Amino acid sequence: MASISIRNLVKRYGNLTVIPDLNLEIADHEFVVFVGPSGCGKSTLLRIIAGLEPISAGELFIGDRRVNGVPASQRDIAMVFQDYALYPHMRVYDNMSFALELRGTPKAEIDMRVKRAAALLHIEPYLDRKPKELSGGQRQRVAMGRAIVRNPKAFLFDEPLSNLDAKLRGQVRAEIKALSQQLKTTMVFVTHDQIEAMTMADRIVVLQNGTVQQYDTPEAVYERPTNQFVAGFIGSPAMNFFPVELQGEQAVFAQDGSAAPIDAESSSRLRKSGKAVLGIRPEHFAVAGDAAAGATVTVKLVEPLGSDTLIHFDLAGAAAIARVEPSLRPKVGDRVTLRPQPAHIHLFEAESGTVLR
Amino acid sequence: MTDAPTTDRWIRWLNTIQLVIAGIIILTPTAWMVMSSFKPSFEVTAYPPTLIFSPTIQNYIELTRTTPFFNYAINSMIVTVGSTSLGLLFGIPAAFAVSWTRISWPAILTLAARMAPGTLFLLPWYVMFRQVGLIGSYTALILSHAVITLPIVIWVLLPSFDSIPRSVFEAAQVDGCSVTRILWRIAIPLVGSGIAVSAILAFVFSWNYFLFALVLSNGDTKTLIAAAFNFVGEGSTQWGALMAAATLIALPPLLLAMLVQRWLVAGLTLGAVKG
Repeated sequence: MASISIRNLVKRYGNLTVIPDLNLEIADHEFVVFVGPSGCGKSTLLRIIAGLEPISAGELFIGDRRVNGVPASQRDIAMVFQDYALYPHMRVYDNMSFALELRGTPKAEIDMRVKRAAALLHIEPYLDRKPKELSGGQRQRVAMGRAIVRNPKAFLFDEPLSNLDAKLRGQVRAEIKALSQQLKTTMVFVTHDQIEAMTMADRIVVLQNGTVQQYDTPEAVYERPTNQFVAGFIGSPAMNFFPVELQGEQAVFAQDGSAAPIDAESSSRLRKSGKAVLGIRPEHFAVAGDAAAGATVTVKLVEPLGSDTLIHFDLAGAAAIARVEPSLRPKVGDRVTLRPQPAHIHLFEAESGTVLR
Repeated sequence: MTDAPTTDRWIRWLNTIQLVIAGIIILTPTAWMVMSSFKPSFEVTAYPPTLIFSPTIQNYIELTRTTPFFNYAINSMIVTVGSTSLGLLFGIPAAFAVSWTRISWPAILTLAARMAPGTLFLLPWYVMFRQVGLIGSYTALILSHAVITLPIVIWVLLPSFDSIPRSVFEAAQVDGCSVTRILWRIAIPLVGSGIAVSAILAFVFSWNYFLFALVLSNGDTKTLIAAAFNFVGEGSTQWGALMAAATLIALPPLLLAMLVQRWLVAGLTLGAVKG
């Protein structure tokens, strides 16, 4: 068990800088998820922690030990790979016992640990099988088992659920979370799926172009995004953004001309007036009876999900989605007045995308 | 317009014809060699060649009577097994290193050495081995034949190592393996058939290699193929004995290839398709 500390880390491939200057503190026992779009540097960062990629500049500590230049084999971390990376020529048992055997662990203890991990992951019946005789989900469990038996300082997961079908993914996601609570080990999990990030993490690192956009709890990242990128990346369907003109205590939608009142707290953030971007999550629209209370839009598409209904519409030149009560079933072409709930309005600087506070 | 089944049939016919032509080109000299070895001496060079004759083993008796044939066979075996082992010993780690580091020039260098005519090596080697008193030794022959075996092992194994997903090696690193141990515990077990194929090919090429043994061996260490050349005289050539020797020389590689035929094909296509 150990904390992970990344200080002024730089990663370059030749002339290409993928991580310009990154600082991150992961506490002991914490479950941290790196999330971001393809090419944001999240997997590179994980591989750097694992010791599979060298550091161009900066420092990396696992626990109190500075591990710059320490080979992966000596970092005492375990990793679950996207393609599981099981040893094809070894039985499941040997896949799991291999690392312990390398460390000279006594046979009886290896046996005890492998069986305990196998029981935890429900893979006892497969211990004598080769990886090719297992399904994707079973292989995934073996890969986790191989990590668990080690009792390492930290677990690293590199998009381990991306090769599973949707149903299995949900199941394994819950299992990994339960496991993390049982094992109480530092875990770093890389994913491009923000639902995985939200459901599993103690804290989320949102990355873009090798820089940390926000590092906070899932709730904070969701409710108080620090910039437009984070706001748009976290949440499904994504947050809606509209160009607005700030006028005192209301935001006037560009082109449309209708106005959204901003709550007192928001308006206090906005001493200045001018152009901004208004962000509102689909679930934070209220359907208003009075046309003057919000923006009246034309319904373009209706997606009934059962638990709620998604309405697609255009406003202020932007395509947008509102999540409404399932009982409300407007038809395509209907006019609906939607009012952004003032307490849930996010305002961003038009140019930089930084949140206005 | 031709419909698909007719086209297929034509392609099958063409394939068969190609195979028959290739078979004739490859097998005619072999058949000629084997038949000649069972012909009476005077009939071997008869023109037109006789296809029907009364077979005799006189050539084989002559061969074993006039030459220490089995000693030469043992020499050949020592040199071939030695150089194949040497090729494997250095070729396996070399191929793995090239695959691991993706630095390919060393492999290309060995290939260039293999492509160079053998005569290019002869003089320097002759001088070097004479300096250290190794002319006529098994050591000289085994080392020189490694020029044949090493590139074969490297180039047959390279695609095999390349076909192992990188993440498997990385998982082993994270599990605590050094690179040497990854080679030993992970990579080698996964390229078993590739190693078998490279060993067989190296064996065959070394076994049949003539030039180095001709110059670097002496009477005690002469290999079969160099010894067989003794039957080619300045005035007359003992064709019958030569053919008998050639037939016997061809046997071990042939038996080896037949024994592991299935593996051979699987191994040669290894790395072509990711499993």
